[in-house]
Amino acid sequence: MDGWALWDLFLTGLLRGGLYALMALGLSLVFGVINIPQFAHGEFYMLGAYFAYFAFFTLGSTPMVAILLAGAAGFAAGALIEKALFGPLRKRGGADWVMNTFLVTIGLSFVLQNGALALWGANFRGITGYWSGSLRLGSSMSIPLDRVAGFGLAIGAILAFWLFLGRTRTGRAIRAVAQDETGAALLGIEPNRIRNLAFALSTMLAAIAGGSLLSLNPAHPAMGSEALFKSWFVVILSGLGSVGAAIPGGFLVGILETFGSYFFGSVWQDCVSISIIILILLFRPNGLFASDVRGIWER
Amino acid sequence: MRAFSDLRFSPPALAALALLIVAGFLIDDEYILNLMIISLFFGAQAMVFDFTAGFIGIINFGFAAFLGLGAYVSALSAIRLGLSPWLAMWLGAGVAGIVGWLTAILTLRLSGIFATVMSWFVGLTLLSLATALVPLTRGSLGLSVPPLLEAAERRPLFFALLPLAALIYAVLRAITRSRVGLAFRAIGDNIEAARASGINPSRYRSLNFTISCFFAGLLGGFYAHFVGILTPEIMATSHTVEVLALAYIGGRGSLWGGLAAAFLVIPVFEFLKPLFEIRLVIYGLLLIAVMIYVPDGLAGRLARLRRVA
Repeated sequence: MDGWALWDLFLTGLLRGGLYALMALGLSLVFGVINIPQFAHGEFYMLGAYFAYFAFFTLGSTPMVAILLAGAAGFAAGALIEKALFGPLRKRGGADWVMNTFLVTIGLSFVLQNGALALWGANFRGITGYWSGSLRLGSSMSIPLDRVAGFGLAIGAILAFWLFLGRTRTGRAIRAVAQDETGAALLGIEPNRIRNLAFALSTMLAAIAGGSLLSLNPAHPAMGSEALFKSWFVVILSGLGSVGAAIPGGFLVGILETFGSYFFGSVWQDCVSISIIILILLFRPNGLFASDVRGIWER
Repeated sequence: MRAFSDLRFSPPALAALALLIVAGFLIDDEYILNLMIISLFFGAQAMVFDFTAGFIGIINFGFAAFLGLGAYVSALSAIRLGLSPWLAMWLGAGVAGIVGWLTAILTLRLSGIFATVMSWFVGLTLLSLATALVPLTRGSLGLSVPPLLEAAERRPLFFALLPLAALIYAVLRAITRSRVGLAFRAIGDNIEAARASGINPSRYRSLNFTISCFFAGLLGGFYAHFVGILTPEIMATSHTVEVLALAYIGGRGSLWGGLAAAFLVIPVFEFLKPLFEIRLVIYGLLLIAVMIYVPDGLAGRLARLRRVA
């Protein structure tokens, strides 16, 4: 194979990685701030795809509006669900918060997935494309414009989120709660509001991911499982020390997978990726980019 | 060894066993007998699952895949090597146990939720292997498996499963009531404190995983020869969730709770079958409600009632 083929593989992996980074960012945010190992994350990705489909196809809105609407709906759904489920659980307290919330999100994923199946049926709802046309980046491979736009949206959302966490008062409050809840409460931050916000933001990111990739992955009740697995994969690989680690991790996994499926065939893609992650974790049990700060997620 | 000296049943367990034997003889309805087999099968799975989740505090999220591994090994050794299904089942259990041991070694350095996610990854790998190895497993086309018994009646099958389930219960109970079981609980409660008391977490964690995966594989072998057709779908995470829900509804760390929950929940869900997806929505809601309002499950509630009375 020549240099251009490698470049094509690299590009494909990069485009794929943008989505993984966006999904994993939300996952590590929820784990980092409220210690919830979110197993319904893929279902919000699925809801985002449905919302975008209904906005774009049924209501006939523009692509940008459809994706933003999906994000807003994902935010609202996340805020509601956090209040309804994790509020009562937190009030009861108890030592096994991480495991209990893990089980609750498993139940939630079952409810959302089968609820979507009951409501919208098992057929695929896709669109031919938000934007038409394609692009060439140096090589002979032409990339559909939609794919590039989806990548751009993912990068945009990641950047916006990064600025929000780093530069705004609310973003700083989120980081404060993640580091020390009692300390944050002493400074007049309401931890309950911040937790709710963090959860809603993470589901919003997942919904945006689902919405912006609608033309590649049509909406379907079971589409979340794959996305969930991939985002957990990224989070475990990159480590949970900091939210930012999910971003390089996402790109790494995207590139790893494209090369894996090129050299070993797509049926072996998952086996290859999992073997690699197992090897890495043998030597770095806390993930590739883990910081030395521990204990945030395990109380 | 003191660990296995306590292979007895408690009086309620003996009563339940007697009740099941009598019911197996008295009931003639094939449909109800089939329902009893399924309930017993899921109940046994829930007990094996609880042996890990309820004691050492690690959820084996690849549980269904270990069961499927046992099923495939058993089915293939019956087909390729001409082994009797009764023997092949134990071979499947052995292989599942070995892979379970390897998984435990892999996850030893990981704590709580990380070990859970890792066992999930191992399960997904097994699933994708079963799908990809088409020459061996025929992939999603399905493998047709020699039956356990020539007769198609359900009663003999029920009496084939009952001793397996009773054996699993007896062994798991004996272990959890011994010093080994105490070490399991100590690790589940507080791993640092357990280590400080001279318990080697690595040894007990790998022992626990090996045993539970062994029994999962055994049940998988039964399943393969009971159903007669095997597809990779049996390894899907959603099956792990079904077993997990039963174990938690029954009450973590109780063993028998999962079995009782299976006999309560599965017939009700069979009855609700016309509702299709709504049924699974109810299943999810049930799990959520139990986790929020009854975290110690049926067994915990009963224990509390007994303490009050």
